Amino acid sequence: MCESNVYIDRAGHEELLMESVDRIIPAEDGSIFMESIFGERKVVKARIKEMELVHHRIILEEIDKQEAKEHDQEIWLEPDTDHGHFHAGEEVVLKLSKGYNMKPDHDAAYSAIEAFAVNEGNVNPVHIHDHHGSKEINLGQEADGLLQIYVHEHEIRELYAKVVMEIGHHHHHGLKPLGLPLEIVPIDYSHARMGESYEIQVLQNGQPLAGAEVKVTYASTRSKDYPNRLTTSEDGRAKIFLSARGNYLFSVTAQNIISTFTLVKSF
Amino acid sequence: MCKDLPPLERAVQFHGHVCPGLLMGVRVAEFAQKHLGVNQDIDEELVAVVETNSCGVDAIQSILGCTFGKGNLIYKDYGKNVYTIASREKNRAVRIAQKYRDINSPESIRYRELNSLSQLTDDQEAEREDLLALIFENTMSAPFEELFDWQDIDFVFPEKAQIRATIRCAVCGEGVMDSKATESVEGLICKACLLAKEG
Ligand SMILES: [Zn+2]
Ligand SMILES: [Zn+2]
Repeated sequence: MCESNVYIDRAGHEELLMESVDRIIPAEDGSIFMESIFGERKVVKARIKEMELVHHRIILEEIDKQEAKEHDQEIWLEPDTDHGHFHAGEEVVLKLSKGYNMKPDHDAAYSAIEAFAVNEGNVNPVHIHDHHGSKEINLGQEADGLLQIYVHEHEIRELYAKVVMEIGHHHHHGLKPLGLPLEIVPIDYSHARMGESYEIQVLQNGQPLAGAEVKVTYASTRSKDYPNRLTTSEDGRAKIFLSARGNYLFSVTAQNIISTFTLVKSF
Repeated sequence: MCKDLPPLERAVQFHGHVCPGLLMGVRVAEFAQKHLGVNQDIDEELVAVVETNSCGVDAIQSILGCTFGKGNLIYKDYGKNVYTIASREKNRAVRIAQKYRDINSPESIRYRELNSLSQLTDDQEAEREDLLALIFENTMSAPFEELFDWQDIDFVFPEKAQIRATIRCAVCGEGVMDSKATESVEGLICKACLLAKEG
């Protein structure tokens, strides 16, 4: 017999976490993966405190919450509509969130933020206001056409969030990059359906960024971390198969910048 | 709804969830439409004979419009993933059979294993979601001939559903289609009352 029971030390008292564990793999992000001989699996945010191998006991110590804030926070935009586009004359409202993996951190603080709406090359600053403790952008009822809205926050890092919104039904010819220092550009913005692939391109100062990691998630994920990680090709492109309903979020980091793009799907 | 729902979306909304069986049905329905050159059925132009009553049939109903209620969905309880789709207008029918596969992919084995558990931990939920995404992509991108065999067949079309008169059951007083009523000492009675009498 070589398997052990794993206990976790929570502020002084020990709790049995899993019996008959035969595999323990510490991950880079400070979490520990374990698997029992019965095939049960668990991932915990902890470090190994003690191993009493004679007694088949392994004691973990919980990493406290503050320390576990392992991810850099990012910002992203989502439309306040349930069907992916706004009709002409409808009030266009977008929600700004800060957090990770589309999980907003409701206590997040914002430093200097600015927002812009770009329509056919015309850039207009837009107002961000507080709405029941969250941040909102209201473009009113006059917005029309194919709009790109982006937010820039100057923090310890430079944070960017971008979304493309179709307001009213139009025919559009492509979508021009905004020219952000780091930007995710959809190859075909309008064609996004569950069950099909979607391609984006990462630009750094207007140039395709090769070999960059693009993290992809969606609103309904049960995963604690981004469920998908892509790597951009020579020409900065990457493709993902859309297997979930609702909006997707793409995130890329380079140097001191984290830039997101929200893909708004109709379903 | 201001935009037409794509077929896959129609199937998911009708069925309630995405699952491997439904996706196979989506492939069948989309293939049949293309192969026969037909659109979604409105008025019993299409007929589907399905040899299973599992998830895939919901894709046939929602995408092809062959539904239980219209009577152009004929169910044979054979427990086989076989679908025959026929078009009156084109006077053609195609029989589509899912290929038998001896070895299941590791992801589908694990997916079924997780599905059989009564309660999943957060990590297992996340794992199942990942597996489904993989199965989803594989199912939708596999060449059709890798998943199914098909052949054009001769098909005898059933008569279109008839509108029948409704009579009143002599025992319970509820309405019953005349062709389904049985003569008895009480008069015409419904099947339920007949079975109750027989005990
Ligand atoms: Zn199902
Ligand atoms: Zn009766």
